[in-house]
Amino acid sequence: MDHLLSHQHGSYRLYSLSGQIVCLSDLESDYMNPYESSSRINAVVIPEMVLHGMCSFLLLVMGYWFMFLLTLPIAIYNSMLYINRRHLIDVTEVFRYVDAEKRYRIAKLAVYLFLFVLVVIRSVVAGKFSDILEPFHPTNEDLDILSHVLEF
Amino acid sequence: MGTENPNHANNYSRPPQNNNSPFSSSRPVVGSQASAFRPTPVLSTPPSGPEVSTFRPTASYVPPTTGPFQRFSSPTPPPHTSPIGQPPAMRPPPTMRPQMPPMHMGSSPLSMNGAVNLQQSQPSLGPTNPSAVRAAPSSAWPGYTATPPAPVSHKGSYGPAPPQPAASGSFSSHQGGYGPAPPQQAASGSFSSHQGGYGPAPPLGMYVGGPTPPAGGMSGLVEDFSSLSIGSVPGSFDAGLDSKVLPRPLDGDVEPSSFAQMYPMNCNSRYLRLTTSAIPNSQSLVSRWHLPLGAVVCPLAEAPEGEEVPVVNFATTGIVRCRRCRTYVNPYVTFTDGGRKWRCNICALLNDVQNDYFAQLDATGRRIDLDQRPELTKGCVEFVAPAEYMVRPPMPPLYFFLIDVSINSVRSGMLEVIAQTIKSCLDKLPGSTRTQIGFITFDSTIHFYNMKSSLTQPQMMVVSDLDDIFVPLPDDLLVNLSESRSVVDAFLDSLPSMFQDNVNVESAFGPALKAAFMVMSQLGGKLLIFQSTLPSLGVGRLRLRGDDIRAYGTDKENALRIPEDPFYKQMAADFTKYQVAVNVYAVSDKYTDIASLGTLAKYTGGQVYYYPSFHAAIHKDKLKHELARDLTRETAWEAVMRIRCGKGVRFTSYHGNFMLRSTDLLALPAVDCDKAYAMQFALEETLLTTQIVYFQVALLHTSSCGERRIRVHTAAASVVADLGEMYRQADTGAIVSLLGRLAIEKSLSYKLEEARNAIQLRIVKALKEYRNLYAVQHRVGTRMIYPDSLKYLLLYALALCKSTALRGGYADSQLDERCAAGFTMMALPVKKMLKLLYPSLLRVDEYLVKSDDFEKLCRRLPLAAQSLDSRGIYIYDDGFRLVVWFGQMVSPDISRNLVGEDFAADFSRVSLVQRENEMSRKLMGIIKKLREADTSYYPLCHLVRQGEQPREGFFLLSNLVEEQVGGMNSYVDWILQIHRQVQQ
Repeated sequence: MDHLLSHQHGSYRLYSLSGQIVCLSDLESDYMNPYESSSRINAVVIPEMVLHGMCSFLLLVMGYWFMFLLTLPIAIYNSMLYINRRHLIDVTEVFRYVDAEKRYRIAKLAVYLFLFVLVVIRSVVAGKFSDILEPFHPTNEDLDILSHVLEF
Repeated sequence: MGTENPNHANNYSRPPQNNNSPFSSSRPVVGSQASAFRPTPVLSTPPSGPEVSTFRPTASYVPPTTGPFQRFSSPTPPPHTSPIGQPPAMRPPPTMRPQMPPMHMGSSPLSMNGAVNLQQSQPSLGPTNPSAVRAAPSSAWPGYTATPPAPVSHKGSYGPAPPQPAASGSFSSHQGGYGPAPPQQAASGSFSSHQGGYGPAPPLGMYVGGPTPPAGGMSGLVEDFSSLSIGSVPGSFDAGLDSKVLPRPLDGDVEPSSFAQMYPMNCNSRYLRLTTSAIPNSQSLVSRWHLPLGAVVCPLAEAPEGEEVPVVNFATTGIVRCRRCRTYVNPYVTFTDGGRKWRCNICALLNDVQNDYFAQLDATGRRIDLDQRPELTKGCVEFVAPAEYMVRPPMPPLYFFLIDVSINSVRSGMLEVIAQTIKSCLDKLPGSTRTQIGFITFDSTIHFYNMKSSLTQPQMMVVSDLDDIFVPLPDDLLVNLSESRSVVDAFLDSLPSMFQDNVNVESAFGPALKAAFMVMSQLGGKLLIFQSTLPSLGVGRLRLRGDDIRAYGTDKENALRIPEDPFYKQMAADFTKYQVAVNVYAVSDKYTDIASLGTLAKYTGGQVYYYPSFHAAIHKDKLKHELARDLTRETAWEAVMRIRCGKGVRFTSYHGNFMLRSTDLLALPAVDCDKAYAMQFALEETLLTTQIVYFQVALLHTSSCGERRIRVHTAAASVVADLGEMYRQADTGAIVSLLGRLAIEKSLSYKLEEARNAIQLRIVKALKEYRNLYAVQHRVGTRMIYPDSLKYLLLYALALCKSTALRGGYADSQLDERCAAGFTMMALPVKKMLKLLYPSLLRVDEYLVKSDDFEKLCRRLPLAAQSLDSRGIYIYDDGFRLVVWFGQMVSPDISRNLVGEDFAADFSRVSLVQRENEMSRKLMGIIKKLREADTSYYPLCHLVRQGEQPREGFFLLSNLVEEQVGGMNSYVDWILQIHRQVQQ
């Protein structure tokens, strides 16, 4: 179950990060004004950090030491940003840092993706893949989305 | 920079054998007190005196034949006569071939003789002048009384050394017994060759070379750079010998003329100045330029009488713009196809000419209606914009006042002054009958005023809930001035008396700001904030943080210069979004956290006015003038600005007081003539194929009369492939302005020292690159070479490092003053910036005593302690402050005439008023003239007597940029230091 949790958290973070990157590129190419893009990005920054922290904590209490150690640096970096109050995008200077912010987020995306893949692989190896696919597992015919999709 | 060694230049690379020289004993003795203001060692020169080089003037000056302008040498017609279909490249006629900038001819052989006399007289002056000896132990200025009493002869000697045919006699006489006079033709070029003859003396003495190249020994080889020879000079004192010939901008800012000459249809340089008007054609060239590459734009600069910007109304045609790149029609577009098409000069797209804009072309390809079309002949026009350029009806001019009425502002008299001033300006506010006005006052509560026109007295409403601000009245807080004039008058009359007994010390600034925002967000406009204490209640409250000395010098130092609370940045962003410009008037004797308050002005295109230790009796006139100017000057509302440029060039960063709305769009809720913006550009492609790059600044704004308008400035600059040409066409003013802004921005995230080092590093790199250009071709030896166009760059850079915003460390200027200076400098136009960096110093006593021509007797003097004679009266003017300095030995009669009977009293309590005598009238006349020369700020006049510490040090001595102040180099040491780094 824990894997499922971190899996879902992971996908949420991936989603929110890619959303942030899209916002920044929109800003760069003038499809969005700085007020909107920074408020959109800033709205998800804290949830993303909290989620990551929760994930790390869960991994710790569940005893997945290796995975916990992998997520720890980011958690520390996040809290450092928060303490220095640099976690939010500054709307007044957003254009000056837009490149750096984008690079930072792309790097973060890559790390999350790596963690995500690692979680999936580890669960497969541990034979708990069925846990993850539980919703899709054809135990109940009515809920078998996959088979429906495959039929057509 | 940053060296703590006051005797730095003396020590620099001084080999031990030099100590054997007979003069080593006469190195200036630097006392503990004296170190800070050590005059240049010239005062303690041994009897030989410094040498003045004797270059012969170059008889004929041949412009360099190499360079990118060769292609212009074939005669081509000027643009307006260019044949149909010719590419948009502007070809200047051959007569506009760039010449070398004229060399500085400020001094004549006659005045040069003056300089020689001056130097010869020094040996006898030094030891025999009793006042110098007496002054040395007691004053911080040993020997500044030792200046020879010949102010007129000063002048000539301070310019760059002139061509001087008659100097050979004095040259050899200088030599004294120290060796044979070098042959006359052994000018600096071949200098190193005879250097050997004088033994192993190190390259220490400053040997003077003129800005002109020597022609004697190397006829035919013409140097197109200026140089200062820094080499060993026989019989000379070791370091920094002659500071008199260093280049100084005593004529003020001289704009490079080549730009305007080459492209006469360019907009005037008061609107747009490029750091170099020769655009590099390749990335590699850019990387060798090292100085900032960009422009300084002052879109609404005040035009002198007769040069007003023409207003063009296209009416039904709509504004003519390029379909693709949206460039506005300008003098550089070319009409083809019998006048039916026009080619955009920026993107080269062929556009159709609309029917009602059509005009025939004459035989030379010019439109026949050219003389009725200012947009096709002038680089600077204003278009009347139709409804497509509006997102809402043009807003009326709107002034909203947010006034602190806590005990400080009442006690200091601020409240009374501003109430009077606002009242006196009501008739002069722009916008006639459309102008809107409103007031909020606050202490620990917020007071709103209902000014409905039907009332006779304003109604005051008090909101004390600071956590949940609401506006008690939806309308009538903001009223039409002409309708509610009587209520506004009644309010302003009663305002000082209403709060005269207020003893509230709190300041609910943040909530009041929010309230003002709620009232203004419908319309936008200008918000004038008068703040006299640190915000202490509600959201946005600040704490005393400037006193923490421990933070200085550490990595946390810069945090003091940025807003403490993100509330201020967020509010600034919101204000800009709703077209509100904020001007902050901070009057306080204590820490007010200008860094936080100023942020509001910075991102809304506003301005910070700071009056440290404000007292109405002293600062009244200044506040009055500056507030009145702020209220009455022509203002453009809800503006956005964009600068377009040709393909391959892209603007990358913008510096100034504004907020970026998108990557290249500056949001400016209010703009006026006192604001300038700087920007840097970069090349997008590795190689530019065009020969000319065009720049077009467009400012879309609502004028005070309620018309939407677009101010368009167009300029062309040629593309070059030669680095030397870039340097030749450089504009020191624009470079200094950009460098200053970059350094101030850097000081917000790094230590001050790093910001200063960045300036120095760029200059060293640039000069090194320049030296490499010529080092092989010409034997530059130990001379320091620099382009003539950048001859003042070193001095201005030094002044920048010593400016209030960047100087020293903790103790050198108050945190608030530093921040306020930073905000101000970020908005200053080039000329004003240069004036602030290198203020003028005038000696006026002679003019006061003799009734003579002002221009002749009062000339700008170098900002060095040597310029100050204790028998003189001087005026120091940096555009923000006037200091009248009285020497100790000024005759009491003069003092009595000027300041009245209390001439012997403490000058801090004496103010200068006009008295009933000729002398006083003259002095006030000068002061008035200086103030009228530039009305954007009101320089307050301070009287200072020589030796009256600490006022003298604060007002004048610390601002003498050529002296060694607060751990910073003197001018001579600075040049030596730069030179040494360049040579490495």
